[in-house]
Amino acid sequence: MNEEARAILQRVLRRLPSRKTQSTLRAWGCLSAQQLEDLDYTQPKWLLLENLISKCEESRLHLKDVTKLDMVYHIENPNQGTWHAFKLTEAEDEALSVDFTQFKEMFVAHLEEVVQHVSIRIKKLEDGAVWIRIAWGDNFTKPNHLKPTYAVHYLQTPYVFILNLAAKHKPFVYQALVLSTRHVSINEAHLTGRSLTAMRDLLMKQYQQVFPNQERTLKERNAPPSHPNIDKEHAEFAERTHQMACEAFGDGTVPKLETAVYKLETRYRGSNNNTLSDRDELFRGVVRFSSPNLLESLRHCVSTGMAEGPVTPLLSSITQKGRNYFVIAEKVPGATSQTPAHKT
Amino acid sequence: MMGKRDVQIYFRLNWRLLAMEGRVSSAVNTPANMPMTRRKSYGRSCVENPSLFWQTPGHFPALGHRIPSSRGAARSRNVLSKVDPEQVALLVKHEWKLAYVTPLYRFRHTQLKLYSKHLTAFIIAEKQQGVAIEVGVEAGFKVTISTILGMAESEDDAETIFIQIHSKPTFGAEALKLVWRGWLTCVNGDREYLRSLPPDFVSLPLFCSSGSESLTALVRSWFERTFDCNFGSLFLNSTTLNWLAALWTGCHPSSNIRFLKLTWTMPTQPSLDIMYTVNPQDAWELWNSIHTEDSADDRIHIDEVQQFMNGLETHLFRHFKIYLSAGTLMKVSTSLGSAHHEGKIKIGSSDYISTLLTLLTECALLRTPV
Repeated sequence: MNEEARAILQRVLRRLPSRKTQSTLRAWGCLSAQQLEDLDYTQPKWLLLENLISKCEESRLHLKDVTKLDMVYHIENPNQGTWHAFKLTEAEDEALSVDFTQFKEMFVAHLEEVVQHVSIRIKKLEDGAVWIRIAWGDNFTKPNHLKPTYAVHYLQTPYVFILNLAAKHKPFVYQALVLSTRHVSINEAHLTGRSLTAMRDLLMKQYQQVFPNQERTLKERNAPPSHPNIDKEHAEFAERTHQMACEAFGDGTVPKLETAVYKLETRYRGSNNNTLSDRDELFRGVVRFSSPNLLESLRHCVSTGMAEGPVTPLLSSITQKGRNYFVIAEKVPGATSQTPAHKT
Repeated sequence: MMGKRDVQIYFRLNWRLLAMEGRVSSAVNTPANMPMTRRKSYGRSCVENPSLFWQTPGHFPALGHRIPSSRGAARSRNVLSKVDPEQVALLVKHEWKLAYVTPLYRFRHTQLKLYSKHLTAFIIAEKQQGVAIEVGVEAGFKVTISTILGMAESEDDAETIFIQIHSKPTFGAEALKLVWRGWLTCVNGDREYLRSLPPDFVSLPLFCSSGSESLTALVRSWFERTFDCNFGSLFLNSTTLNWLAALWTGCHPSSNIRFLKLTWTMPTQPSLDIMYTVNPQDAWELWNSIHTEDSADDRIHIDEVQQFMNGLETHLFRHFKIYLSAGTLMKVSTSLGSAHHEGKIKIGSSDYISTLLTLLTECALLRTPV
């Protein structure tokens, strides 16, 4: 147990709530059942840490084993830090037949080829997620286990989610991912957030979607309690807006996104009385929507009439395109933009 | 005999007058005339019209009805030439919680040292819950009250006072730690109102504090007891925030505001925050197209402010189709400062400090019960 191993152990223990400590240590699987029994989890954390370290030394555990605990912690708590989504494009023919062992061997080989000191740990979970932990060093330093990069990939899908990736390491990870999954390139998917599951559900459409032809079922399910005073017309209107909101943002429990950001590079479209209307330049700004559950808020906003229907493509693009960062540019000849321009 | 007759005539006349008056008033007793008839009774009813009569006779200005519809454009004034830069630095960069204060009775700027001692003793006594405390023995806390000379703009403004509370460590010779700060100020207060105050009152209507809530409560209660005044929370309504957005944007040519950030909160479930950050140059150009500097005294009219904000809101609506009017404008900020609906401000730069404080003084005076 060197200093670094102690530091990692201390950090994981500090972040863990007391009631979860025992189950996490069990999931780690490096200490015997008897050793886990012997620890007193009600002790103050500094004392528990000392006892835990002595147990680890008893079992001759090393840095390698402790990094495994760090990974277990991140798998159990995927809502720490900001995840970025990436999309692999142009799959080669073999892409669909890559299995876990193959992927693992190739990823490690490709990364170790270009970075001299790197420590990689890969684990496949039951739900098919492949978790990758990378600790980076360089030509002269050992891998820094206190600042690892985490990547999560679902085999046979084009999506990769990455946490804590420094700009200088980006090319290495990109290359290793592209080669080991048999794709040609990888791009940022313009989707970021704290909740890994929400981002996965949004991109893989794992939430209750509503399509226009589904109208009848939705109407039946969400039929308002009949009341003689409710005007028929009003009820129909309310249903229509609700239907519209659900088509745009999903029904039931929706992926828990927190933010959506729009960079506006459009012409001024304010009040009519000739303010700035003859101006050719763009009216620049950034609009940031945030909420504990953004899609739910937007759905409520539309269905209660706080927004005018139909839902603007700008907002419905969050679910349609699985993104939460957009650049909205004016269709001006000569103007360049990374994204297709929206006409508003 | 003559005298008797005189009396009689007088009596008759008087009686007839009364009768006539009765007839007249019964004839035109419409609801519109009700207040007129009522004014005849001089009974001091506390219920109707929290009367201006029994505080100062005659012409007490009813502040509630005098919300200005135009004001001077923000002018960069070199505060540092008038006020000690070190003292200005005390006000900049912190977040201040706002409150209004009614006029202080028998407050003297010459007695600040004494007040410091009393406030120190009061805080220690309150913290120790009833144990007797000797004034002058400063254990645990030390209060310093000082004047920030030069903040006042007009001759009717009282000078700003600044309060600092340091905590003293019980053991060791460690340095004092600043745990709380607050100030009371009046910048360009309503002249008519200030002049109508009885001589023993000093009006410092704006109270800003930064530090623990419990210390704020103690300072407030000491002021309330000592100067027979009252504190109340000061919220900034959307009109005030609109004013600030326009005034600050107008400063852009002379002092880069870096951004104009507006935040709305929509009453959705769960609540939705919409933060719009406008490019400063574009915001200014929009403002400039609405506000024309035609006259020598650069006045800004409320209509222009509304037009500016409507323009920005419409621009957003045309993109996102969300009715911002269903929500609340919560926050306005630029690099010159920020103001939050819940009565919290930050002063980013000393350049336009007096514009901000003039507006806030006005808000505080409007909230002050008359």
